[in-house]
Amino acid sequence: MAKTIMVVDDEPDNVTTVKTVLEKNGYKVVTAVNGDDCLKKLPKQKVDLILLDIMMPGTPVRDVVQKIKGTKIAYLSVVRVSEAEKEDMLKSKNIVDFIQKPFDIDDLLARVRKIAGK
Amino acid sequence: MDGDKIFEGGDIVLMVLGSESYGEKSVEIAAGLSQKSVCYVTLNKTYESMKDAFGKHKAKMENVVFIDGITKTIRSLPNNETDGCYYATSPAALTEISILVSKCLHHKFEYLVFDSLSNILIYQDKAPLARFVSNLANQARANKARAIFYVLESERGEEVKLPALKCGASF
Repeated sequence: MAKTIMVVDDEPDNVTTVKTVLEKNGYKVVTAVNGDDCLKKLPKQKVDLILLDIMMPGTPVRDVVQKIKGTKIAYLSVVRVSEAEKEDMLKSKNIVDFIQKPFDIDDLLARVRKIAGK
Repeated sequence: MDGDKIFEGGDIVLMVLGSESYGEKSVEIAAGLSQKSVCYVTLNKTYESMKDAFGKHKAKMENVVFIDGITKTIRSLPNNETDGCYYATSPAALTEISILVSKCLHHKFEYLVFDSLSNILIYQDKAPLARFVSNLANQARANKARAIFYVLESERGEEVKLPALKCGASF
């Protein structure tokens, strides 16, 4: 059964690119336009991994993450953070990766495979 | 790039930076200004990462005060300020950022660096952004400070039209 990835980003172009690549590689993809949309859609389906943009309008990502229970999250970040901050964020129980934008799509795919499986 | 060259067209400058060079240039320019006092508003790099980046460019950190509008959106902080930095709630908190800038400029800073207008456009429409920029530009003028507003060059070639500013340079 295909793994389900939720892509949360307010930039439609980013969502389309990531969705296309993931679907071509056998994943089921659901999308959300911001953190609030993500929280609304999440209870309605089983999601194996959330790719969560860090800078979006609406509820701050820190608060969104606190409300997500039991689903792995990888940050997609245009924001530059220090190595110490990155390590600190990865200590949170469901934050499993921190992917800096702009990212290489093959690298993103490799990370998704590693975290969610094929 | 020294301050005189940046500001030869006026004391309030809009600086359009290409996405390839943005990360490096935005820090390099501000680090170059740090020979004098700088108030740096960051909405896309955390204060902690800015300390590292400024260190690499040998900036005089003792001359720089940061207003960080991004860290609190991604992680919890015990305080609203630390030595050398004030934290705003989010890049969308324009009133809060404006108050913090005002607080800093009253301490006679030579330069205000705003990084960047593009980030605010994620949260706000152009009209409130234009009013906000006009307000900051007026604050800078009133306090005899020079100001740079960074904006990321749009990949789609759309123009950023903010009449309050003179377009100073692009890289």
